[in-house]
Amino acid sequence: MDFTLLLFFLLAATAVATALGLLLSRNAVYAALFLVLNFATVAVFYLLLGAPFVAMTQVTVYAGAIMVLFLFVIMLLGAEKLPKGEALPWQRPLAIGAAVILFAEAVYLLVQRVRLTAALPDPGTWENSMESLRQMAGMLFTDYLLPFEVTSLLLLVAMIGAIVLTKGERAVRS
Amino acid sequence: MIPLTYYLVLSAILFTMGALGVLIRRNALVIFMSVELMLNAANLAFVAFARQYNAFSGQLFVFFVMTVAAAEVAVGLALIVAIFRVKHNIDVDQMSSLKG
Amino acid sequence: MNFVLPIFPEILLLALGVLILILDPFVKRDEARRPFLGWFTAAGLLVALTLSLLLARPAEPALVYGGMIRFDGLGFLFKMFFLFAAAVTALFFMDEEKLARRAEAYLLLVAATLGMSLMASAADLVMLYLSIETASIPLYVLAGFMKEDDKSIEAGFKYMLFGAMASAVLLYGFSLAYGFTGETGLYALALHFGDFNLLAAGVTFLVLAGLAFKVSAFPFHFWAPDVYQGAPTPVAGFLSTASKAAGFAVLMRLFTAVFPAVNADWSLILAILATLTMTVGNLIALAQKNVKRLLAYSSISHAGYALIGVVAFSQLGMTSVAFYLIAYVLTNLLAFGVVAIVGRVTGSDEFSAYNGLSRRNAPLALAMLVAFLSLAGMPPFVGFIAKFYVFLAAVNSNWVWLAFVGVLNSIVGLYYYLNVLKYVYLFRMEGEDEEKHPVPVSRPVAAAVVVLAVGILLLGTLFGPWFGFAEQAAATLF
Repeated sequence: MDFTLLLFFLLAATAVATALGLLLSRNAVYAALFLVLNFATVAVFYLLLGAPFVAMTQVTVYAGAIMVLFLFVIMLLGAEKLPKGEALPWQRPLAIGAAVILFAEAVYLLVQRVRLTAALPDPGTWENSMESLRQMAGMLFTDYLLPFEVTSLLLLVAMIGAIVLTKGERAVRS
Repeated sequence: MIPLTYYLVLSAILFTMGALGVLIRRNALVIFMSVELMLNAANLAFVAFARQYNAFSGQLFVFFVMTVAAAEVAVGLALIVAIFRVKHNIDVDQMSSLKG
Repeated sequence: MNFVLPIFPEILLLALGVLILILDPFVKRDEARRPFLGWFTAAGLLVALTLSLLLARPAEPALVYGGMIRFDGLGFLFKMFFLFAAAVTALFFMDEEKLARRAEAYLLLVAATLGMSLMASAADLVMLYLSIETASIPLYVLAGFMKEDDKSIEAGFKYMLFGAMASAVLLYGFSLAYGFTGETGLYALALHFGDFNLLAAGVTFLVLAGLAFKVSAFPFHFWAPDVYQGAPTPVAGFLSTASKAAGFAVLMRLFTAVFPAVNADWSLILAILATLTMTVGNLIALAQKNVKRLLAYSSISHAGYALIGVVAFSQLGMTSVAFYLIAYVLTNLLAFGVVAIVGRVTGSDEFSAYNGLSRRNAPLALAMLVAFLSLAGMPPFVGFIAKFYVFLAAVNSNWVWLAFVGVLNSIVGLYYYLNVLKYVYLFRMEGEDEEKHPVPVSRPVAAAVVVLAVGILLLGTLFGPWFGFAEQAAATLF
């Protein structure tokens, strides 16, 4: 078995295990940390798929900014220890059942298309990556210019929205 | 050489687990984290497809999705903090003041 | 100059948003000048509307900005209506204390409108996803704006959570669509979806699920009553009209451009969804005692009526959907506007708050009558014309049973709309001294109510030219 395939299976197992950890963990901080590990694993997948820029963005934005924000809020609210409670008794098995069906359908759908089992090429060399980065940047400022500008508005609006919702009026009850 | 299908199956697994998390968990923060997991699964599918077609459009899409996710998380966490300030509780089963 | 014409309304909206932010610190200090921002926003939106109508009309449908936007009549028509709805909502904002004095509320409104106008003309998966989020995120904040009120903040949170999940499902559908074609442009995707196969079905299912949330169709309608009830009433009005119409614009474009071949098989599923949406909405509305919740369920059922037009899938079908949405935007905004006024004065949204409204403020009660009868589909109001054309389109496309279900549902709807009007006109207040408890209506809100009521009557009687606009717009889709 060649190295890349082995690496893939190891990483896939890690990704699924950390996702499972997120699902089952009783402590919100542990859940967040599991998710960080999941994001880091996915970043390595991006490297395997020859997308170094996306991998770096994943680590910086997702694992580095978004999850840190989550951890801030978890600590701020003191929500580490989650109360032990049950969901409505019939909801849990129903959800799991529905998820299994959804998953089985997805796999069936994907595996059916024979032409997709063609193997993906391994990632290229470093020079190729830089060239691809250059091309991507070019596309971002030509074809994708409008979404790019709209994103800037979206970020401004999200920032203002977050401030409006959390800024205290005078005395903040906590 | 890794077949594309492997990546897609993994993406489907992660997406389903994220959906399960949203349905089963009661803590608002963990539910929101599960939504992020779902978005991530979609991102993985995008990059895998981009590799197959040797195109950058998939990678650029992921770039935009990450930006949107960041904005969404900012607003979402602000809402969770605001709820906590009023109810001192982020258990979604207890948010039922709107039943009627 | 031609370069910016396709996004001319959006540029004006952006300029307006920035101006609102800049002006805010100067207006804040002076108590007497506080209403200024509301009038400024409404005026700015109307100016944007007029300028766009004069300068930025589309000629032939064309893909611009690297295939991101399709500059055609449908997008333009919807954009104009979003601008109008936002202007009216800005006027309604001026009545709510917590909203009126925050410039951020107006900015969020303008930003949401910008997102919606991009949604109406998006022609690429990237642009579509981005515009859906740009429209939704400000609305999450607006729904939870009154953060001391636990109902409002809960509404904002629920809306955000369900919206985020729906976006994730939509995105997964987009990823599969990209994966099996290698394209992100909608019109390029269409070429690959020529024949029906399992994958097209999967993609359609996921995309439909995400969009069904946006338009609150069955089975993804459950968030609407809670969110509409909890959110500040003008915001609920905007959500139930403009946001839903934007979702329908996307649905129309997708079904005519991208999925026409799969349409034959999906029509039946859509028809069943439309039936369930109408019926569930109407039946649960019957049991409501709270006007906002009643209007929420009525909005759900209206999404069902509009879906009938989508099922019809003909030129007339799409025209009828466009006209229906125009009618619905006018009517629902007026209904929520009246509810906002009464809610502010009496502090309650239960039916009993409307006792004797006809004696407390006769013009307001009349406006409510106009709105509710138009919602029920009575002539001479625009609701009647809208329903008529939707049912006609269904019958013309051999969906007679669906039209029949629609008519039955309209009858059920008539019952609960008239029920509310009973409280307004027949019941009396406790103590029977309505003259001592008038319902004051401030100037901006009065202006908005008058414009909407006149609009409903006008489009209901002289609907020819307006239907013509809808026809031209829908024609550009095919």
